[in-house]
This record gives sequence, C-alpha cells and structure tokens, in this order.
Amino acid sequence: MADPASTPLGKMLLEEITPVVMVLCTPYVEESCLKNGLSLIQLLSPFCDFTNIDVPVRTASDQPYRLRKFKLRLFYSSDIRQPNLEVAKERLKKVITHVGEKNFVESSDPSQVNNLLSRPESEMLPSWFQFFNKELVRTLSFSDHEAFDHPVACLLVVSSKDDEPVNRFVDLFNTNKLPSLLNDGAMDPKIMKHYLLLHDNQDGPFNKATKLLADMRNAFGQNDCQIICFNSSQDGKIHHQDNPWASFKSDALPTENLGCFLNLDDLNEIKDFMQELSSKHIIPYMEQKIRVLNQQVSATRKGFRNQIKNLWWRKGKEDTIDTPNGPVYTFNSIESQIRILGDYAFMLGDYELALSNYRLISTDYKLDKAWKRYAGVQEMMGLTYFLLDQSRKDAEYCMENAFNTYLNSVAAGIEEVIMRIHRTNLAKSSACDLLWMGIVACNSLKLGSAGRRNATRCGIWWAEMLKTRDQLKEAATVYFRICGEDTLHSAVMLEQASFCYLLSKPPMLHKYGFHLVLSGDHYKKCDQIKHAIRTYRSAIPVYKGTTWSLIKDHVHFHIGQWYALLGMYDVAVTHMLEVLASTHQSKTTQELFLRDFLQIVQKTGKTFEVLKLQLPVINISSLKVIFEDQRTNASAAAASVKESLWRSLEEDMIPSSTARFNWLELQSKIIPRKYKESNICVAGEALKVDIEFKNPLQIPISVSSVSLMCELSANPEEDANSLNNEVQNNEDRTSTSYGYVFFYSCVLHDDCRDINSCLILSEVDFSLEGGETTVVQLTVTPRIEGILKIVGVKWKLSSAVVGLCNFEFNPVNKRVVRGRRKQHSPSSDLKFLVIKSLPRLEGFIHSLPEKTYAGDLRPLVLELSNQSKFPVKNLKMKISNPRFLYAGNQKELNADFPACLKKKMNVEKSGSHANVNKTLQNLFHFPEDISVQEETSLSWPLWFHAAVRGNIPLYITIYYEMEGVSSIMKYRTLRMHYNLQVLPSLDVSFQLSTRPSRSQEFLLRMDVVNKTSSECFQVHQLSSVGQQWEISLLQPVDSILPSQSLFAGQSLSCFFMLKHSPVDLIILKISLQDRRRSSTSEDSIPSLSHIQSDVRLGPQDNSEAFFDVSSSPLADFHDCERSSQGMSSQVVIFLPLRSSPSSMSPISWLVDGPRTIQHNFSAPLCEVNLKMTITNSSDAIASVHINTFDSPSSNNQPIDDATTSQPPEHQSGWSEIPIVNDTKIITTEALTTRVPKSLSLESVPHYIWSGTSSTKLVLQPRSTAEIPLQICVFTPGIYDLSNYVLNWILTPVDDGENQGEANKSSGVCQGYPYYLSVLESNFKD
Amino acid sequence: MFLSEITAGAKIREEEMIVCVAVVGHQNNPLYIQSFTDADDALKLHHIVHCSLDVVDERVNNPKKSGPTLNETFLGLLYPTENYKVYGYLTNTKVKFILVTTDLDVRDGDVRNFFRRFHAAYVDAVSNPFHVPGKKITSRTFADRVSTIVQSFGLSSAV
Repeated sequence: MADPASTPLGKMLLEEITPVVMVLCTPYVEESCLKNGLSLIQLLSPFCDFTNIDVPVRTASDQPYRLRKFKLRLFYSSDIRQPNLEVAKERLKKVITHVGEKNFVESSDPSQVNNLLSRPESEMLPSWFQFFNKELVRTLSFSDHEAFDHPVACLLVVSSKDDEPVNRFVDLFNTNKLPSLLNDGAMDPKIMKHYLLLHDNQDGPFNKATKLLADMRNAFGQNDCQIICFNSSQDGKIHHQDNPWASFKSDALPTENLGCFLNLDDLNEIKDFMQELSSKHIIPYMEQKIRVLNQQVSATRKGFRNQIKNLWWRKGKEDTIDTPNGPVYTFNSIESQIRILGDYAFMLGDYELALSNYRLISTDYKLDKAWKRYAGVQEMMGLTYFLLDQSRKDAEYCMENAFNTYLNSVAAGIEEVIMRIHRTNLAKSSACDLLWMGIVACNSLKLGSAGRRNATRCGIWWAEMLKTRDQLKEAATVYFRICGEDTLHSAVMLEQASFCYLLSKPPMLHKYGFHLVLSGDHYKKCDQIKHAIRTYRSAIPVYKGTTWSLIKDHVHFHIGQWYALLGMYDVAVTHMLEVLASTHQSKTTQELFLRDFLQIVQKTGKTFEVLKLQLPVINISSLKVIFEDQRTNASAAAASVKESLWRSLEEDMIPSSTARFNWLELQSKIIPRKYKESNICVAGEALKVDIEFKNPLQIPISVSSVSLMCELSANPEEDANSLNNEVQNNEDRTSTSYGYVFFYSCVLHDDCRDINSCLILSEVDFSLEGGETTVVQLTVTPRIEGILKIVGVKWKLSSAVVGLCNFEFNPVNKRVVRGRRKQHSPSSDLKFLVIKSLPRLEGFIHSLPEKTYAGDLRPLVLELSNQSKFPVKNLKMKISNPRFLYAGNQKELNADFPACLKKKMNVEKSGSHANVNKTLQNLFHFPEDISVQEETSLSWPLWFHAAVRGNIPLYITIYYEMEGVSSIMKYRTLRMHYNLQVLPSLDVSFQLSTRPSRSQEFLLRMDVVNKTSSECFQVHQLSSVGQQWEISLLQPVDSILPSQSLFAGQSLSCFFMLKHSPVDLIILKISLQDRRRSSTSEDSIPSLSHIQSDVRLGPQDNSEAFFDVSSSPLADFHDCERSSQGMSSQVVIFLPLRSSPSSMSPISWLVDGPRTIQHNFSAPLCEVNLKMTITNSSDAIASVHINTFDSPSSNNQPIDDATTSQPPEHQSGWSEIPIVNDTKIITTEALTTRVPKSLSLESVPHYIWSGTSSTKLVLQPRSTAEIPLQICVFTPGIYDLSNYVLNWILTPVDDGENQGEANKSSGVCQGYPYYLSVLESNFKD
Repeated sequence: MFLSEITAGAKIREEEMIVCVAVVGHQNNPLYIQSFTDADDALKLHHIVHCSLDVVDERVNNPKKSGPTLNETFLGLLYPTENYKVYGYLTNTKVKFILVTTDLDVRDGDVRNFFRRFHAAYVDAVSNPFHVPGKKITSRTFADRVSTIVQSFGLSSAV
C-alpha cells in the first residue's frame, strides 16, 4: 500500500483533523476585508495550508522529527459550537440539490454494462461524493467528546481604524462572547493568544499603525503581536491569475474579482504571517503542551501502581454517576487531558504517542460506560492504526467497535432511562407513565440522532479505509449500514455503496443495480427527482438485455413518471415506451402503464412518432407483398396461389418457351440494367401488403390510421443520365443508342406536399382485444411513374401516438410472395419500378357453383372487362383442369340449356368434334378477331363438368396483349382461381359378361347407387359411344324402378344386352340429369338413328329426345375422360370400361371349332382341330402361355363355374360397390352357362391334347392372335375341353402413356368348358 | 414504498416462513419465481433474488479450497438482509435455486433437505418433453409441488 497519508482517507484526515484557530475580530477588520469580496477567514484561509513547511518537532520523546505538512483551520468564535442540526441538514440538502442539477444536465448514459466498466475509475465515481462526505463530517465538528476540534490558539484581529485598539483587543476576548466549549468547562479557557493589527493602506499612512503596534507590544508582549498592511492597490484592478480563494468561496460569482485590492506584497505579507504563526507559535505551543501533558499522564497513570490505583478508583465510583452520556469530564480531568494529549500528538503527526494515549483512555471510558467518548476514542485509534499502516485488523476492529458503540450508545442510553423510569415510577399512575414515556422517547430520539450522526461519520471513515484497501464489498456493506432515518443521506450512502459494488473486482453488477434503485427510491422520497432519475438511469444497463422484466418495468416506468414530473415529456415517453408491451404484468398494471403513457403523451401536446412502438406488435415475418406486373390476379384467392403453379400453367402460353426472364431479356435494351431485377408495377394499380398485428397485452387497444409509408421518386437512372450520361452507362454503352424510356420526372420525397396526388394510401382502423392477432391488408396505389419504395408501416395507437415500423428492420425473415427466385437484397424486394398505366382485364366467371354434385354439367359465362382506354387482343386461355372446364363456342353463349344437348335430326355428328385438339392441350385460343375494346366487356361461354368428386382447385389463366402502350410490357396475364367442392352423386359400376359361345353378344349389368345424403336423381339415358354398338334393355325400367327416381342411398341394377364386336374399347355413357333441371326441357323430335345406341331409362312415356352424346360438350368431356383414364375409377357419367368379350381379365380367348363331330371309330384315332383366338385388350404387351394337360386328375382344382368370373389378381374396369356385393354371386350365376355338374363329372372320357402341350406367344397391345389346337379322341362321347390353363403376364409399354397401369400384372385363367360331342358314324359309312 | 423495509429495518415480523423461491438459469435469467406472501412485494423479492446472484457468482468463482466442497451443490447462506435470509443451491447445469425466508434461525439441514426436494421437482419439470430448455417453467404440476415443499419446510426435521 502506498503511504497512508497520500490515500484519499489520509488526505481527508490531514485536512480535517488539524489544529483549530479561533479568530476574533472587530467590524472594521471585516469591512476592510470585504473590499476584496472576502471575509477575514476567507482571506487568510488559502495561506493556512502548508504543504512543505519542514519544521522540526519534538514531542514526548527526545528525538525530534520533521513535520512536512501542516494545516490550520480558522473559525470565528461564533462558529465554534456544534452546528445547528436543521441548518446543517439544510446545507447538505442544498449541496445535494446543487449537484443534482449539475450532474443531471451533463449525465450521459452508458448503454452497456461493458461500457460502464471500461471507463476509468475516476470517471466512474462521481467526485461530489467526497465533497458531500466532507460536508457531512463537518456537521459533527466541535463535539465535546473529542478534542481535535477544540481551538488550539486564538487570533485576535483589530483594525488600525479602531479606536483604542489595545482596549479593543481586551474587549474581544471577553468571556461572554466566547464559545460554550470554553465556558462550560469542556476545554481549558486559557489558550494561546496572538494579536494582529490589520492596517488598510487605503485608510491612511502606515506610521500610525506602527505606533499602535508598539503600544500593543507593550501591552501583550513582544512576540505575540504583529501587524499586516494590506489593500495596497489603490485602483482595485488587480487580477489574480491563479485565484487562491476560489475553493474557499464556493458561492462566488464568476464576475467577482476576489482580492482586487491585494497586490503581490500584500499576499506575501499575509503568507509570511501565517507561516510564522504556525511554525513559531502554534507548533511550539502544542509541543510544549504535549510534553507537559505527557509528564502529567506519566505521573498519574503510567506504571503498575498507578494502573492498579486507577482500576480500584474507577470501580469505586461506578454507581455514583448515572447519566446516559456517561460521566461528565471537565478539561482538567485526567481523562480529558489524555484525550487532548492524544489529539495533539495526532495533529502533530506523532501517531505512536497518540495511539498509546488513546489506548490508555479507551479502557477508562469503557469502564466508566462513557460510550460516546469510548466510541470516539476507538474511532481515533482506528484512524491512527490506519495512518501508521499497521495491523489492518486492529484498525478495522476499532472502526467497527466505534461504529457499533455509537449506535449502541443510543440504545444503552435509552435502556438506562427506561431502567430509571421503572425504578422511580412503578407506583405512579399510568397517565404519569405515558408522560414519562413521551419524554423518554424525545430524549432517546435526540440522543439517537446524535449517535447516529457520529456513527455516520465513523462509517464514512471506515468505508474510506476499506476502499483504500480494496475491500470494496465490505465498504459497500458499511455504507449500507450507515443508512439511517435520514432518507436523503441514506440515498447518498446507498449510491456510494452501489459504486463500491461496481468497482469491486469482479464487479457485482446485480448489487450495483439494486443499490442504485434503492438509492433512487430514497432520493425520490426526498424530492430529489433529478438524482432519482440519474440513479435509475445508471441502473438501466444492469437490467438491459436480461429477462428480469418486473424489475426492468419498474425502473423504466418510474423514470418515465419522474421525467414527466419534471416536465420533460419527450424523454418520459421514450422510457414509458419500454414498459408498454409488458406482457407478463397483470392486467391492472398494464392498464396503468398504458394510461400513464397516454397521459404523458397528451401532455407533450403533440403527436409522437415512435420508431419502435411495441404496441401492437408487428410480425415482420408475416409481411406479404402482392403486386401485379404483367401478371394480374382476378381475385385475392388467385394471389395466394403458388407462383410455380401459375408458371407451369402459363409456360406454353406466354411468348417464349424460356418463359421467366425472357420478357426482360427482350427489353434489356430499354430497361436500365439496375432495374432488371427490381419488381415492376403499373401506375394506377394497387400494391397490397399483408401485415400481421398482435396485441400482446390483456387489455384491448385501439389502432387507427394504419397505412403504409412509401417513397415515390423519379427514376434516378434518368436523373443521373442527364447529368453524366457517359460515366453512368459505360458498361451499358449499346443501350444508349436505343434511348431510355421517358419517365415523367417528378422528384418526390416524404415531405413533398403533393405526395397525396401521386400516391394513394389506404387507411385501416381496428381494435384488438387482449392477445388478439389480426392480419391487415394495406394498399398503395402509385399514380405516376417512378421508383416506389415501401418503407414501412405507421399507425396511431389510441389516436395519440404514431408508431412507425420500418420493414428493413429484420430483412432475413421477409417474404415477398412475388419475388423472383433469384436472391437479391431485401431492399429491392420492396422497391418497385412504376411504369405507365396499362390496360388490365378484369375477369369473372358467372354462376360458377361453389358446391356441386359429381357429374354436374352446365354452361357458364366468362366475362372479361377492360376498364382502360386501350384495347387488348390476341387472347388465349388456359385451364388447369380441362376435365372440369373448357371453353365453348361463341354461338353457344345464348343456347338453351339443356335443350341444346338433345339430338337433332339435322346435326352432322362427325362435324362436332372441332374442339378436341384444343381442349386436349388445355390451351384455348380465342378467335383472332376477338378483342376486348376499351371500356367494354367480353362474354364467352364455358362448359363446366364436375368430373371428379372432392375439393377441386381450378386455375385459369388468360393471356392478352396490348399494343403500343408500353414498351416494357407487351402482354399481361389474368389469373383466376376458384375452389370447387364436388360432392358424390351417383356411383355407377358395370359388369360385362360374355354370353356363352357367342362372343359378339354381351350381358351388361349396371349398378347405380345414389350416394348423396338428400338429393333425388332421375336416370334418363344410357348411351354407348361408338356407333357400332347396339344396346337394349333386358327388362323395362318401370319394373325395376317404379318410382322413376333414385332417392338418397337407393341403388338400382339394370341389365342390358350389347351387340356387335369390334375389338375395341367400349365406353359406356349414362347421361344423368337432375330432375329439377331436366323437367324444364320439352323436345319432341324422336330419335331415328339406325342403330339403337341409346336406352331410355326414364319414364317410357316420355317423348323427350335423347341427349346427343356425340355432340359438342358431352363428347369433348368424354375425350377428356378418356385421356385421363386410369386416374379415376369413380366417374359417374362417363365410366370407361376396359373390357374384353369374355372376362374382366385383359386377356380373353375364345375356343372355336366344331361342336359335333361324327367319326368312324374303326380308325381308332379321331383328331379334332380347334382354334383358339386370344385377345389382348390391354395397353400392355402380354405374353401368354397356354398349358394343356391331358389327365383330368392332374388338375386337382375343381372346375367351378365361378372360376371364369372370379377375378384374377388384377381386374380393371370394375368399380367395387360394396352394397351389391351380395348380389354378385347371383348375377355371375345368371350370366354364366349353367352346366350341370353331374354331366361334366360323369362324362369325362379320355381325350388327349395333341400337338404342343405348351404354347407361348407374345401379344402386342390390343391385338389378337390365333393358335391352332388339336385333340385326339378315342371313343365317342361328350367331351369338356377345359383341361388347359392360360398364364398371362402383362408388361407395360414404356412410352409413358399408361401411367396408371405401370404395374406389371399377371394372371392364370382356367379354361372354360367347351363341349364337343363325338358321335359314332359307322352307319353312314 | 416497497424498499423502505429493507433499509430501515422495519420490524414487520411476519410468520416465519419461506417468502420466495426462485429458479434462475445459467445465464442468470429467471426461470421461475414464486413468492408465498400475501403482500404485493413481488418486486422486492425479485430484487433480492437478483441481487443474490452476485453472491452465487462469487461463491462459484472462488470456491473454498477443500476437496469435499468441490461438488457441493448447496451454497449456504448467501445474503443476510435485515429481514430475510437468502440461501442458494447450484445444480451441475449451473441452474441456481434461491430460497428467501423470514425465518432467521433456520437449520442448515432443513434448507439442504428443502433444496434436495426442490431439485427433484425441478428435474421432473424440465424432463417434460414439452418444456423448452432456457424458457420459463410454466408447469402447473411443478408449481403445486413447489408449494407443497414450501409448506412442509421445517416440518420434516421436527418429526
């Protein structure tokens, strides 16, 4: 450790514990001094501090030592008394307030804890603490229990102007006016006197003064009298460069020229006088006094005998003195003398001597129970230990002891008083008791406060001592303990404690924060609001960034409130903002926060714009920008569809095959390169921005005037271009030859007054309940060309505060819906190149149902309207799902539905398939001559057919071109999106079975089930497509379905006969009409087709025409269904059946040959040639393997009738209907030949297959092959030629057409019975 | 005001009991703070808990030299204020448990026992797959269990 004297505490002690000189002067003296703006003491004070005096001192020991530093404290006699408590308090308060004002202005907040610590220590610790502590210590001076404040000498000053100066000197030292300390016996009134004659040179010549001095010397002695001449300067213009009085007159105005009449000689004279006074008079006097006292003490107290005597004597007087303060000691008591000896030794720097005397006296005081004096001595011992730099432990122990004793002396005093009350007043009445108690309380309070204040001083010194030794934590504890009932002082102490925690290694920041908050709280209680704010603000960095939100809210809220009290509403608001979105607080607290906040905002008298308003919370990641460039949306639903979906839909429609960037590349010459990647929007068309707002609080809030903040500026490219064409476009040199698009230049900024005419911003108001979240759509419509930038959003909270939120804030999370796939900076996502207004088609499909039944067929009307001044042409349309929707002919627009679907005699059937190719490609070209003129609309018929049930999205894109409007954009697309819900209506399934031995006739079974929950259907008609087929009912419908309509859940089975047999697909078609709709049509033209390909299923007496299945919409939709075969097995109207004449397996065969043979069995062998026709009806290559086996026993499987109809592993075309499952067996029985089992079993004569026993062949898709077969018969009889097995394997063709049947399938088929009768023909031969 | 009691040493002797328990994460973030007083002193208790973290840090950084204390989780008395005693406990994952009590002469064993049970409750709470580590503990079961433990504080040793 460094020299203790050079530590802050050491310096403080050397300044504060120094000899006191009592100054007595006449009014004339003061008057002369005041010419300089100074009092006498102020005038002399600068010269009382000797830092390099170098005086030899000899105290008790014989060895002299040299005193380097010395200081005198000058006081007027009137000030030598214990200061008035109230006055002292007032002064301290003033000090604090003053500091508060000063620091408040210059305080700057460190935002981070790290910053806080990185500053140098001296900067961190406010300097005013030292000053305050000193002031606080001074309030306790001139206590009777310690001697270092007792005047050592008396300086009597008389002016040469005074009458009879010698008498004045005598008058001055009049005992009546002397301080009470000297009068009440606490100190020796015989003190050293020094006489000074002050001569003001302005008052007259020096001669008179010298004569007076001679008189004085005669009267008071040669050495004790001196003269000072001053105010030598006549004009008072002397200006002291280094003003020595500045620190002694703190309240001096800066304009005041202190010491203006004092020239250098005067100053030197004063200086010399003070030095002489201290070195020649005061120090020798003190030395002498120490020696005398020491001798006395040695005589009475040192040595074994004296100690015993002392001990015995003290025991003896124990009971006699009984006051709270212990015994009263007068100046000539030995205890006081020892104390004086110690203090003098201390002041002269002889700490060893001081310590030994303190030790001596402390035991005495302890024995005497003079607690206050004991504490005072302990205190001094601690300080002496410190200055001796010995035994830290002892020093601390002494300080703690002193501190506790000061505090306990209060308690001890109270205790004794109470004891006395008890002793004397036990018999008195209770009223008396109360009276006494009151007096006691008053006494103890007074004592308590004095003791406390002493303890405070002791604590300050103790804490300083600990700080010097880097025991900052302990120092903080001491400061904390100092806190007493004086709130203001406590506040300062707590603040000092907090700094101790901050400076401790490692810093204890939590405690730092806590003590600051405590301190602030105390400051607030004393109305030191500025201090309170300062401390709370210092605490902010501690809590910043932590999740201790309760504390954080408390701090911010109070700072806000206090700033509001000071009228600094702006700052108040910023702090209140911090607590606004406190979700964790209770509802009442949130209400309080919000209410106070709004009140403060109101008081500011202006609408606040707050950048980081947390209420409501904006979910930036939810930001969605919807804009339209060449792609326009018919509805909001279309905008929410994924871009990739549209892109794939539009791929072959927009001009080039490399669709995406092509339109840009084409025009790269025109658009500056910089903007190639920025988004484009069209003037007059709204940009929509979806933002999510959330109320984090539990209380409702109202938000109004929510709008976007946008900047619209002229194209900077253009501006730069005009300035420096060459430089700007160096890399783009070729482009200059093409010139730039000319923009109407209008430089706009935020503050531009006519921004309203250029931008239209939507405003939204809403209110949010507690915890509610809402998505708001905001729009901005640029009116002129330029660069539009969406900067952020602003809103008004409770119509008082404007919140702003910049979108650049958290760019990572931003999502721009229409952003190009390329990665580019987020700022460009919100930047748009506004181009000139363009035509924009509005599209709408009339009466498109949202909910319908599967199979519903109806005409719709698409309406396209053009609101602009320019025509558009070259329209194309693409529909994502042609099974549901396709464009009709314009002439169909006003056709009567459903009558238009009916068969007409004169219609050429073959000519109605004009649209097939177009619809297959999904792309519909409107006729060349069709264009949408300006401000008109175009209607176009569409056919709608609910092909599949489920939730069906429909995407429609309409492409159109406009000419001569903009060179940037030549075409646009209109995107429409609808969602359909298709409910199940009828389930239709078919089963086709061959008629035995007639491969050209089939039995068709149709099962129809009404799957709706409530609807009722009427089945009208079954038609086969393809004119080769003739279909007829086996029994009249009336007998199956008398009610003629199919109610919900009802099922129907019908049987039909089909004739004719090209090997081709059979497509069956049933037209269904909702009864309600079909009842409107009445047409009486009978069907006269050659072949009956339609069957009426409705009422037979109905003479309605059949619906023409080969006419336009029906046939087209049918084609669609065909092309999407395999995708669905639940089609109602058009049920594709892939079927072969004999079974459901893709492979069918027919064994053909003679049925009856006559053979002469004289020749033993009868060979019969048969032909097997194998048909592959699938789209796959089939490899067929025919195995014949001769012995019926080798085939253990019973030849069941059902085998043929049992499905193999794979069965296509059959849609399962569980409801009719039970009837299935019956039907199969009905459909297959009823061969009596007995017959087949009985008549199994032996025959053998001749020729190959195994044949393998490969069949191409949809082809037929013939295989010769031969058997040998040995005896006449009836033979069942079913002893063979067909194995088939289907290998899909790899041309990708048959995705639905990609699986390899295989199956085994038993041969079916073929009966051959062989007769004996002997007779004929 | 709320803070006056701390400094002025007001002699409001409540029933001697646990007034607050807290779980503080390894970044000194509060995970769970529950006070068991009727008074509106949440802020004060927050401050006390927050303050005691300094002492926890100090204890952790300057462990006593002797071996057995190396793995000791119980930190002992942290912070004697005039009205309260604050005890600390540190888990292996540097999660701190803080106990604030008005009971001025608590037996060490009681406190240790309390912390052991509290630790078990905490482990069960964070083992919940729906608990996000580092976030506040919101489990109602945990809260119920803690209040049970708090209520039975000091009783077990008396038996």
